This record gives sequence, structure tokens and C-alpha cells, in this order.
Amino acid sequence: MKKILALVAEAYGGGGGIAQTNRDLFEALHQKFEIFVLPRKSNPIQSVLPKNIQQEQAVMNRLWYAKKAFQVARREKIDFVFCGHLLMAPLARMISKTKNIPLWVHLYGIDAWEKPSGMVRGAVEHAELVTAISRFTRRKFLSWAGNSPEKVKILPVTYGEVFQPGSKSESLVERYGLTGKRVLLTVGRLAAQEKYKGHDRVIRALPEILKQVPDAMYVIAGEGDDKKRLETLAKDQGVSDQVLFIGYISEKELPALYRTADVFVMPSAKEGFGIVFLEAAASGIPVVGGQEGGSLDALAEGKIGRMIEADNISQLEEALLQGLRLPRVKNEAVERFSRARYAAHAFKMAENL
Amino acid sequence: MCGIAGIFSYHYASSEVNREELRHIRDAMERRGPDGSGEWFSKNNRVALGHRRLAIIDLSEKGAQPMHSEDKQLSVSFNGEIYNYRQLRQSLEARGSVFHSNSDTEVILHLYRQKGLEMVHDLRGMFAIILWDEQKNQMHLIRDPYGIKPLYYADDGWTLRAASQVKALLVSGKVSKIKEPAGSAGFFLTGSVPEPFTLYQEIRQVPAGSIVSIDSLGCSEPKQYFSISKIFSMAHDQKGSVGSERDAQDKITESLTDSLKSHFVSDVPVGLFLSAGVDSAAIAGLSFDLGHKMNALTLAFAEFQGTAQDELPQAKEIASFYGAPHSEMLLSREEFQKDLDSILVSMDQPSIDGINTYFVSKAAHRQGWKVALSGMGGDELFGGYPSFSEVPAMGRWMYLPSRVPLAGELFQLASSFLISAGLLRQPKITGLVKYGAHPADAYFLKRALFLPWELPALLGSEAAREGLRRLQLKTRLRASLKPDPGGDFERIASLEASHYMRNQLLRDADWAGMAHSMEIRVPLVDSVLLQRVAPFLIRSKESNKKFFLAGAAKKNRASLKKRSKTGFSVPMARWLSEEKAASLDAWKDIKMLQRPETHWSRRWAYTAYQKLAA
Repeated sequence: MKKILALVAEAYGGGGGIAQTNRDLFEALHQKFEIFVLPRKSNPIQSVLPKNIQQEQAVMNRLWYAKKAFQVARREKIDFVFCGHLLMAPLARMISKTKNIPLWVHLYGIDAWEKPSGMVRGAVEHAELVTAISRFTRRKFLSWAGNSPEKVKILPVTYGEVFQPGSKSESLVERYGLTGKRVLLTVGRLAAQEKYKGHDRVIRALPEILKQVPDAMYVIAGEGDDKKRLETLAKDQGVSDQVLFIGYISEKELPALYRTADVFVMPSAKEGFGIVFLEAAASGIPVVGGQEGGSLDALAEGKIGRMIEADNISQLEEALLQGLRLPRVKNEAVERFSRARYAAHAFKMAENL
Repeated sequence: MCGIAGIFSYHYASSEVNREELRHIRDAMERRGPDGSGEWFSKNNRVALGHRRLAIIDLSEKGAQPMHSEDKQLSVSFNGEIYNYRQLRQSLEARGSVFHSNSDTEVILHLYRQKGLEMVHDLRGMFAIILWDEQKNQMHLIRDPYGIKPLYYADDGWTLRAASQVKALLVSGKVSKIKEPAGSAGFFLTGSVPEPFTLYQEIRQVPAGSIVSIDSLGCSEPKQYFSISKIFSMAHDQKGSVGSERDAQDKITESLTDSLKSHFVSDVPVGLFLSAGVDSAAIAGLSFDLGHKMNALTLAFAEFQGTAQDELPQAKEIASFYGAPHSEMLLSREEFQKDLDSILVSMDQPSIDGINTYFVSKAAHRQGWKVALSGMGGDELFGGYPSFSEVPAMGRWMYLPSRVPLAGELFQLASSFLISAGLLRQPKITGLVKYGAHPADAYFLKRALFLPWELPALLGSEAAREGLRRLQLKTRLRASLKPDPGGDFERIASLEASHYMRNQLLRDADWAGMAHSMEIRVPLVDSVLLQRVAPFLIRSKESNKKFFLAGAAKKNRASLKKRSKTGFSVPMARWLSEEKAASLDAWKDIKMLQRPETHWSRRWAYTAYQKLAA
């Protein structure tokens, strides 16, 4: 059985999309590969890890992390190195070079869009395989990296089977006072740096929506330093009462939250991929997203959700109103990102290394 | 000449093929194939093939493409000619294949069925093939040994799109228009965009003599199945066993005749582009020996009439000597100027040449021709260019200076200063010490249009730096000398054929012929011919071996041997420098190009680049 050393920021015991993606990948490979995960950070792990997957103690300090990585590589006679974050590429390359084993670098999104330091670029250019989460990320990567394009493949994300259509969650409706409301939902971090997700544009569209759908409510799930700005904006637009910030939502409650919404919206101007689009579509609610960047992939060029010009408010209004009229049925198009297809593809790539 | 297109939605997450998209790509190439069009979509709608046809062999509907094997497991869209298709068909039939058409396309299907991709070694000719293998769920993009026919592909990570032209792929709307700085840098360094690059990051050329295979995981790296340096290298191993030196001329004549015969294969008449040079005259002579009557056409210039530069009288003389019905196209400055825009539109990628071929093809088309032979390749094969003597000489002179640390940089600085002070005229001299010593570098210097340190002025410093970094020109030049061809002549012959002829001459012949729906055939650019003559060529001591070509025809005029090369020269320098059209003024923005002694080709390069890259 081939052995993989996986250098990642987070995997088991981590929250957020990147940790989830890493876990998805390892679980696609673990039947035929033995995986040694070395994270930078991790919370205590509650459950037993899937077979053939071992997670080492997390190490935050860079030097100690590097030392540990070499230790594991030596101890386990690793067959190839998986590097889950661009900034770790120099270390991953050093290991792959000294051990003379292939290097696989995975790119999630924004981190790979701008040209990095010469050291990182030099390292990643030695990768046997680079996987990018979307066509957009691949394109951006290839515009600064000299890797031969044939070695840069796409490995999209997949979504959990827990996301299924169903009726609204009574407990959530009660908790947030959504009785009789038509719910527009966005799930995502409110990072000032990531303003592009487009919460502000939805808020600007609200007054027009409310004219036609007076019981509409915009629910924003997620935390971050952009919240202040958005609250002020809602006040300025006179829709404070119709914008509800519900903060961070646990993974456990997320499926029910999607089901409680009537339309999922995230008119993002640049997205690495946008797994939330898939989760919402799998939950059976209409989806509205931007047509730029990785969203194009996640929305399957319009088959999974409606695509609009991110900064076109009137298009957004129209799309939201249309979404509110659509029936809540599972969009079968989302099957193209199913776990089985993802796993088979990831597995084939690892085998070919 | 045809136009081919293909789409393969290979990735599990990709969308099905959009039929309209395929048609758009295909029909952007209408001039490559005005006689008909075809399309095919797989049952699951994940694969599409398109074809625009210029009917030359088997003019019936049975020769239409895309063509399928009887069991529908194999489908093919093909551009080019397989000259030995009749022989291949015979041996395939002997082994049980049943044919339904008389086309060379069908031979590809049967041959692939029997041999898989190994079939490429049996194909003689010029070809770009998109082949779909249903059973293996694989698409293959295959290009002929010399790269006579173009084949481009764009892989976005989900979907593969392929076509005969860059511009056709851009029509798709799904192919990124992000620029490839290596393409731009390569263009300014060499005068043509060097494969595999194009001006666009996402679009690449299948390298000559290579195969790109695509399956559910995407594209493989191109697998090279033919290299010119390898043929020369192998010729050294067998040179003892191919007969005496006295046989050389006979053997070479025999091989030339054989190549010419195969290039006549056609169901429509084949004509000849005739200049006053040795190459096309040799083709005229050998055709005469074969008893093959062929119309000849010469491009002449009104401005040259009555001067020594006029090729027409001599070309006429050659034609009548070999009894070939002859006609000429007299190009005037007015027509040249009138067509300039159309020339730039016809160019698929920017180029500093090809205008001559454009006009001679235009005349041929007017006369109803579909196929013409050209003498291209004679200089590459028989050492007709000055580079064959000058590059090795440069290497000997520069061997010592190049070993002195920093000598290259110092010489570059000093000579650049002299140029800016107006004391030196030739900008290429600045690279003498840096590039002179290694044959690949010296060859580059000999052929260079601009030198690397001149690029920032044309492209901006960031694009120039990134372009040079991605281009890796030195590595690419050296790669065409692996395995070592074994001698000075062989090295230059490999370099000329793998770079200048491939990226410049052949590509120009393609777009310029295509602009008038003309198929241009090149009997001196033939892998079988190369393999047969290489053992004799490497034994002859002279660097210029054109005498073999001049001496090939039985009915031989002594004067042909002495004639110095002029080629199809266009009085471009004068016409362009006097051209008043504002649309051709782009070069005036660049200070370096304003110097009065600047060669016209540098100005034209910048103008063409601005037109095509903008």
C-alpha cells in the first residue's frame, strides 16, 4: 500500500471549507493508500479516524513543523507528498527532492491567484501534479507558474450527503422568528477582505424585493469583520428589520438552515469555487450566484443555479424574485459533483502519480 | 487542406458539448474547406468532431468527414494527405480490412484498428488528425513529423477543444483570451510564434511529430514519435551499409523522384509554384523525367521588371525548357496595399513572412487550382542557407571569448553603446559573444529578429521577463539537437527544419494558402525522403549540398546549377516604408524602431503583432 504524507493547514478537528475538502480527499483515497496527515492546527478530535488515516499532532511553529514533516517522511518511507497549501510548497518540495518522490500540490482558490514569492513559485513548478479547485483557479495559477499545463488538473469539491431537500425546520423558524417569512439566505464568512461575496449587493436589492414580496427576509449566516459595514448599510437602505445576522452556524445545523431558506444567494465577484452553492442546490432550494471566477464551475455554467453579473443590482433583483417563485425541488444537476464521482477521480489521479 | 475541430468534455464535472459551439469553431475555418462540412456528436454528447472539406482525394460523399469505423467505435476528423495510402490500403486489405471509400481518411481508421498509435510510423505525408476511440474513451491529437499541418488545442481543465486554427478556437467563446507572454517573446525573438506556444496561455500547438492523448483525467504531455536529429543520428550508424559514395547522386535522385511521385497523388490537378531558384526548378525537372505535365506559376513584381532581381525571365525559361505550361502573377504595389488588411486578417498568428505565398496562392486560386507543389525545404535538407557555413564558423571564432567570465555581458554593453552612438548598425552584433559559441545559440543569433535584451522596449519589462522565463528558448533549441545529430551540417539541418522551417515557413504556407483555399504540398519536406538521403548527405564534405538537388533531373540545364538563390522576394522594404496607411503606423510608437537604419522586418513585426495581439 502506497503511503502519502499530507501537509495541510487543517483536516480532522478543523472547521471550514478547506479542512472539509482535505478530509474529503483523504477519504477518497484511504481504501488503497495509507495517509499521514500533518496539520498546522487542530482541535481535539472527537471521533475515530477512518482506517488508514493517521493524523499527527498539530504543529503551529514553522520550524518544528518542518522537522516533524521530515521525521514522518523518514519514519514511514513515504511514496509521495501531498501539499494542501501553496505556502507549504517549499517544504513539500524539499521533502520530495531529498526523498526523490513525487509532489502533489492542491490549490483551493484565492491563495493561488496572485504570483507568490520566487521560492514558492520555484517549489510548485517542480510538482508532478497540481490540482486546482476550479477552472478559474487553474487559469490564474498557469498565468504565473511555468508548469506544463498537462500536469495541472482540476479536482473540484464535493458536497455532503446530509444535504437533502425537505420541509423547513420548525425549530429554526421559531428561533429566528421566521414564521410566515420568505427567506433569502447567504452562508459565508463576512471578511472585510472578502467583500466580493456580495452581501452588500443583496442588501441593496432588498428594498425592491420587499415591494413585491413584503414578507421577504434576508438571513446572513457567518461571522466576520465586515459585519459592521453591512449593518450600517442595511440601516441606510431602511431594511434593518429585514436583514438578520444569525452568526456562525454549526455544521450540524447547516442542512436544516438551507431547508429553511427559499432562495440561496451569493452574487460573488470572485470565488475559488463556492461549495455552498452545491449544498444549497442539493437541499432543494433555488440558487443565485455570480458568473465570474470559480462560481461558474460550482453553478455548472447555469445548470445548478442562476448566474448573474455580480455587480448588476437589477439583474440580482430579477433573479431573486424569480427564485422566490420557483418550486423547492432538488436540482439533479448537482449530481455532477457527487461524492462517488469525486472519489473515483481523485483516486485515479493518485494512482497515476 | 481542410479544417478540423473537436471537443471532448472529458472531466466528470464538465458540461455536455454545446453543438452550436462546435459549429462556430468549424465554420470559422470555412476557407480551409469550402467544399462541404460535417459534424458528429457521441451518443452521450460528450464528444464532438467537426470538419470543413476541401475535396482532393475521393471527391464523392463517401470521402466526407468525420468518418467512422464500421462498428462506430472509431471516429476521425483529418486534415492533410496520406501519400502512401494506396500501399497501406493494399496491405490492410491483405490482412482482412474491408474498405467503403477510396479516401486516405479511411486508411487511418483501419490502420489504427490494427496497430493503435504505432500507426503513425507508417503514415507518409502531412497530417493533423483528431481521432476518437470510443472503447478506450480516449481522444488523440496527432501531427505529422515535420509539422506541416497545424493542430491547436485548448484545455481548460474540464473540456478539451481542438482546431486547425488559433482564431477558430477563440470563436468558441469558452477559451480564455489571457495572453501567453512566451508566445509574444518568442515572436519578437524569431519572427514567428514558436510551438507549442501561441499568443494565448490556454491555446497550444501539438508539437510536430507528436501525439497528445486525452482521457477522463485530461491531456497527456505531448509524446514525440519523430525527430529530425534522431534521423541524422541513426544515419551515422548505418552510413557504412548504404552503398558507395559514387552512388550518392543516384540514390538521392531516386529518393527525390519517389517523394515527388507520392506528392502527385490527387484526384484533382496538381500545379507548381515556380521561382528561378534550384528547388522548384528541380521539381519541374524531375516531373518532366517522370513524364508528368504540370502547370507552373510564378510570382513577379511590377517594380522589378527589367532589373536583375526579376525572377520572371528565368522562371519562364525553366518552364519552357521542361515543357510546363507557365503563367505569372504580376504583383503591383496597388494590389499589395489593397490586400494588406486581408493579409493580416488571414494570418492566424503574427508572422513576418508569408506574403509572397499569399499572392501566389491568390493567383493559383483564380486559375482554378486546388493543389500546388512548392520547393520549400530544399535549403533545409541540402544546406542551402548561409547558416550552414556561418554558424559553425561563428562557433569556432567565439569558442575562446565565450569562455572568459562576463565577456558576453561586457561585449553586449560595449556594442549596445556603440549602436546607440550610431557607430554600429547591426543590433544583433551585441549577442555575438554570448550566443556565438554553442551551435544552438549561434543559430538563434543568425535567425534572430530581436535579441532578448531588446524585448522590454517592445513588450514592457514584466511581460518580457515572464515571457523569456516561460519560453526557455535555449532549452528548446538544444532539445532539437538531442540525440546529437553528429556533425555541423546535421546540426544546422536539424535546427533549421525544427525551428525556422517549422514555425515560420510551414505555418506561413498554411495560412497564406488557406486564405485562398489552396493546398500547398512540399515534396522536399518528407520524413521518408530525409531517412533515405541522410546517410549520403552526411558523407559529403561540402556544407552546401544543393548540387545534389540541382543535378537530380536527367534533362539538366547547366545554368540552373549556378543560379544564386533569390527566392520569391517581395519588395516589402520599400513598399512598407513608403506605406502611408495609418493602420500600419504602430511601429512609430517605439523609439528603438524609429532609427532610420532599422530593418523593415522589425517594423513589420511590431505592426503585425499589434494588429493580431490587440
